[in-house]
Amino acid sequence: MLRTIIAGLKARTARLVLSSVAIALGVAFVTGTLVLGDAMNASLRDEFAKDARNVDVSVTVDGGSSEESTEIPGITPETLAKIRQAPGVAGADPRDSQTVPLVAANGKAKPAFAVPLASTEKLREFDLAEGRYPTKADEIAVDKRTAATAKLTIGQPVVLLGKEDQRHTYTLVGTYQQGTNQLSLGGFDHIGLTPDAFQALEPERPPYQVVATAAPGFTQQQVVDNVRKAIGDNGFRIQSGEELTKETLERVEARSGEFTTLLLAFAIIALVVAAMVIYNTFTILVAQRTRELALMRCVGASRGQVFRSVLAEALVMGLTASVIGLLGGIGVSALLQRVMFSFNDGEGTVTLPLTVTTVVAAFAVGTLVTVLAAVLPARKATRVAPVAALRSQPDSGEEVSRTGVVRVLTAVLLGVIGVGAVVFGMGMDDEEAAMFTSGAGTMALLGAVLVLGPLLVGPVNRVLGALPRALLGVPAKLASANAGRNPKRTAATTAALMIGVTIVSLVTVVANSAKETANAEIDERMPADYTVTSAVYDRPLPKELAEQLAAVPEVAKVAPTTVVFGERGYFTGVPRDAIGNLFRPTVTSGSLDDLGDGTIAVNADYAKRANVSVGSVLSIKPGKGEAQELKVVAVVEGQRLSDGIMTMETSLRFEQAAAGYDSILVKLKDGAVNGRAAVEKVTDPSPLALLDSAAETKEQLNQQLNQVLAFIWALIGLAVVIALFGIANTLTLSVLERTRESALLRALGLTRGQLRLMLVVESVLMALMGAAIGLLLGIGFGWVLTEALSNDTISVDLVVPFGQIGVMLAGAVVAAILAAALPARRAARTSVVAGMAEA
Amino acid sequence: MSALVSDVGTRTAVAAANLVKVYGKGDTAVRALDGVSVSFAAGRFTAIMGPSGSGKSTLMHCLAGLDNVDGGSVDIGGTEITSLGDKELTRLRRDRVGFVFQAFNLLPTLTAEANILLGLELAGRKPDREWFDTIVDVLGLRDRLKHKPTELSGGQQQRVACARALVARPDVVFADEPTGNLDSRSGAEVLDFLRMSVRKLGQTVIMVTHDPVAASYADRVVLMADGRLAGEIDSPTADSVLSALKHLGA
Ligand SMILES: Nc1ncnc2c1ncn2[C@@H]1O[C@H](COP(=O)(O)OP(=O)(O)OP(=O)(O)O)[C@@H](O)[C@H]1O
Ligand SMILES: [Mg+2]
Repeated sequence: MLRTIIAGLKARTARLVLSSVAIALGVAFVTGTLVLGDAMNASLRDEFAKDARNVDVSVTVDGGSSEESTEIPGITPETLAKIRQAPGVAGADPRDSQTVPLVAANGKAKPAFAVPLASTEKLREFDLAEGRYPTKADEIAVDKRTAATAKLTIGQPVVLLGKEDQRHTYTLVGTYQQGTNQLSLGGFDHIGLTPDAFQALEPERPPYQVVATAAPGFTQQQVVDNVRKAIGDNGFRIQSGEELTKETLERVEARSGEFTTLLLAFAIIALVVAAMVIYNTFTILVAQRTRELALMRCVGASRGQVFRSVLAEALVMGLTASVIGLLGGIGVSALLQRVMFSFNDGEGTVTLPLTVTTVVAAFAVGTLVTVLAAVLPARKATRVAPVAALRSQPDSGEEVSRTGVVRVLTAVLLGVIGVGAVVFGMGMDDEEAAMFTSGAGTMALLGAVLVLGPLLVGPVNRVLGALPRALLGVPAKLASANAGRNPKRTAATTAALMIGVTIVSLVTVVANSAKETANAEIDERMPADYTVTSAVYDRPLPKELAEQLAAVPEVAKVAPTTVVFGERGYFTGVPRDAIGNLFRPTVTSGSLDDLGDGTIAVNADYAKRANVSVGSVLSIKPGKGEAQELKVVAVVEGQRLSDGIMTMETSLRFEQAAAGYDSILVKLKDGAVNGRAAVEKVTDPSPLALLDSAAETKEQLNQQLNQVLAFIWALIGLAVVIALFGIANTLTLSVLERTRESALLRALGLTRGQLRLMLVVESVLMALMGAAIGLLLGIGFGWVLTEALSNDTISVDLVVPFGQIGVMLAGAVVAAILAAALPARRAARTSVVAGMAEA
Repeated sequence: MSALVSDVGTRTAVAAANLVKVYGKGDTAVRALDGVSVSFAAGRFTAIMGPSGSGKSTLMHCLAGLDNVDGGSVDIGGTEITSLGDKELTRLRRDRVGFVFQAFNLLPTLTAEANILLGLELAGRKPDREWFDTIVDVLGLRDRLKHKPTELSGGQQQRVACARALVARPDVVFADEPTGNLDSRSGAEVLDFLRMSVRKLGQTVIMVTHDPVAASYADRVVLMADGRLAGEIDSPTADSVLSALKHLGA
C-alpha cells in the first residue's frame, strides 16, 4: 500500500503542488494573524509594565468612594516626607502630570504633558535616548517623538507657557523614550522637568501619587506595612508593586483586547476562507481519482485500504504544507509589523512570539481541514461500486442533483436568525450593542447565502454570462456552461472570494459612511472659512485677537465665541449678529429671534436630557461662580458645537467666559485673494492661536480613517488573494479534468486563442459571481450597520463608495484573468491527439 | 448535389504522399507511418483496417490535420495541409472536415442540438435548416434534441456525433472506430447512416475499424500493417475482409 501511495504522490505532482500551495497559504494567513496579535500584545504589555518597574509601594489619593476623602486634594510634602522616612523605603517620588503649552520651533504652542522626573533614578518610567536627564530647574528633557515633531534639538532653549501665558525658558539636555501608556498611545507630547521646576509651574497643586522603591533586605509587603504605619490608611490607597503591575496589566488587556478581537476576527475569516479553498481543492482532486480508486478496488484492495490510502496521503500533504505555511505565516507577521511601524514613524522592533495556540491552529487548519476535505469525497468514492465508477466518465456533473432539503432548511434557519438579530440590533439604543448584534445577524445571513450557494450559481451565472455571451460568442457560451455545470464546485470556489469581498465592502461602506457623516458635521460646525482656536484647551484666546482679525481688509466678518461649562453640559456664547449667518442651527421649536439677554437656545438632545422645553428656565451652575437662571427660547438641532447657545453678553455673566474667547470664526470677503496669508499675519505672532479651515480638519480626519481602512484592506486583501488562488486551483483541476473535451473542441475547430478565451471568461465569471454577491451583501450589511449605529443624536447616512467598489470589481476581473493564465496556457498547449488519448 | 454525385470516383477528396510519422527518438523511436501514399476519392466510403498498432489512428490524425507529420504531404480538397499553421489548420477542420470519434464525442454541458450545431457556430456559419432537419430525421433524433448527452444512450450519442459531422457538409468525414463502443444493432444504425450519407448525399467518409462487418458497409477497404499500406479490397464483404486480415496475421 505504501508503495502505491508514494507512486500516487509522484504521479500527480502538479495537482499536489497546487493543493499544497492552497493549504500553505491558508495556514500562513492564520498563523500570520495570530503571531501578529501576540506580538502586539506582548509589546504593549512590556511597554505598559515600564510604569510599574522598580515600584515596590504605590500610594495614591483615594478620591473615589467616601465623602471625607475628598478633603485630601493630593499628597502633601509632609506625607511625602513621612513616606521617605518609613523604614525600608530607599527612595520615593511623586508621580504627577499637568498640561503645559510647549512652544514648538515654529513659534506655535501645542499642549504637552509635563511630568516631574523622579529624583530616585530607579523610579523613572522612561529610557534615556540621548543626552542626559535634567539636574537643574532650568533644564528640560523631552520625549523623542516630541523632539521630532516640535523640531527641538539638544542644547537649544525650550519655551513653556506658564500661568497667564508667562514664558518659561529651559535648556534641552536630553531626550527619552516613553513607555506605552494612555498618553503615549494618544500621541500627546511629553516633557520631563526636575521636581522643583515642575512644582514651580503650578505651585498650589500637590501630586496624586507617590511611588517608592524598597531598600535591599526588605520585602514589598514589609515596606507596604511600614508606609501604612507611617501615613495611616485614611484617604490613601496603598498598593504593593505587584498589585500595581497587575492592575496595569488588567488595563492593558482591556485596551489591547479590542485590537486582539479585531485580529481574531480576521484570523477566523482567514481560517474559513482557507478551509474552503483547501476543501474544494481536495474534493475535486479525489473526485477526479474516483476511477483510479475504483480500479484499485477492482484489483482487490478493500474499501478500508483505499480509504486509508487517501487519508494517509492527505495527512502527509497537510503536515508538510502546514509546516511551510507556519514558516510563511511568521514571515507574513514580520511583514505586517513592518507595515504598521511605517505608519508610526518607523519605530519599533519586529517580534515573533510563537505560542502553542498558534501552532495548534496552524496544524488544525492545515492538517485537519485537509484530511477532512479528503475523507468526505473519498468515502463517497469508495461507496460507489467499483465497476460503476470505472464506467463513468470522469466528469463530476452528477453530484449536482441533490441540493437537498437539509440545505434549504439550514439556509432558512440561518436567514431567520440573521434577520431577527439584525432587526433586534437596529432597534437597540446602545450603539455598541446594536452594532454587535446587527453584525452577528449579518454574519448569519452571510452563512445562509453560503449554504444556498449551489442554488444561486445557476441564476447568477445566467445573468452575469449574458453580456460575455452576447459579446464574445461561442467561447463565452461554452465558458458560461462550464461555470454552471457543477454548481457545488463553482459555489465552493466563489464562496471564499465572496466572503472576502463581503467583508471588504462592508468595512469600506461603513467607514465611508462614517467619514461622510463626520465631514458633514464639520461643514455644519464650521460655516466660516477659518476658525481660530486655542492650541491649548483651557487657555482662552486673547480678546484683542478678534479686533485685530476684524481689522484685516480681506475679512468680511469675525465672530468670537465663548464657552461656559455647566454641570451637565457646555454652552457657547456667540455675538447676536452672528446668528443666522455664521451660526445656522435648525430651529425645531421656539424662535431664535427671541434670543437676547438672559435667554438660551438648547440643543434638542440636551433638552431631552435636561427635560426642558421652550419657556422653561434653565439653571446653569459653572465650576466657579454663581449659578445663572436662563430662559429657554428655542430648541435647535444640528448645532453640534455644544449643548446650547446664548448671546455673548449673556455668556459674560459667567466668570469663565469672561476670561477670553474659545474660538474666533472668520469669514473672508467674497473673492478675497490670499485670505489665509492675511489672517495668518495676525495669528502667527500669538503662540496660542491655531488656524483651522474646514477643509484641513476634514483632510486630517479623512487621512486617519483612510489609514485604518488601508490596514483592513491589506489584511482582507490576503484573504482575497487566497480566494483567487482557489479559483486558479479549481480552474487548473477542471482543465485537467476536461482535457478530452478541450481536445474535442480543438478538433471541431476551436482555435487556441478561443480555448484560452473560454477559460479566461470562465474564471472571470466565477470571480464576478463571488464579487457581485459579496458586494451586494457587503453594501446591504453596511446599510444595516449604519442604521444600527444611528440613533436619535447621530444619523449615519449610507454612503456607497462607487469608486472604491469599481476598483474592487476591476481588481477581481484582472485577478481572475491572471488566475486563468496558467491553466489556459496548459490547456492550449496540449495537442489535440494527446488530449484525445487522455483517459 | 447533382454536381457532387456526378464526379463520384473521379475527384480526389483526400490524398497522402509518402507520409512519415515517427514517435520518440533514438532507440525507442517508432515509425508509426512509414511512407504511406494513399488517396481517397470524393463521394466514397472507405474503411481503414489493420492489426492493432499498425498506424490506422495515426494515419487518420495526420490526414485530418490533427497531428503534424515528419515527412510527406497531405492534400485535402486541393489544399496542401502539412505546411499550414495552427490557425489555418483549425479553420480547415472547422470548415472542411467532420469527425466522429470512438467515444466522448459530445460536450456534456450542451444539448444534443447544441452539440450538432457546435461546429457551425464555431465557424460562424448559419445552419441550413432544411439540411439539419433531414439529418435529424434520418438519424431519428428529433425527440432527443433537447437532451443532454448523459441522458442519451451510447448509440444515440454516436448518432448525434454523426449528425454534427455531416451538418456542416464537410469535404470529408473521418471516423475512428465509431462503432467500437456499440452493440451490433446500434452499430448497424450508425453504419447505415454513414453509408446512406455517401450514397444519397454524396458525402466522403473515411472510417477506421476493427470490425469486418463494419468494413463491409464501405465501398473500399485499405489495409495497413506496420505503418505501411498492405493492400486494398474493392466492394468488400465481411468474408473477404476477414480472410484478407487473416492474411495480414491480425
Ligand atoms: N503518442 C505516441 N507516442 C509514442 N508512440 C505512439 C504514440 N501514439 C501511437 N504510438 C505508436 O504508434 C504506433 C501506431 O499507433 P496507432 O495508434 O496509430 O495504432 P492503431 O493502428 O490505431 O492501433 P489500434 O487498432 O490499437 O487503435 C503504435 O506502435 C503505437 O505504439
Ligand atoms: Mg487506433
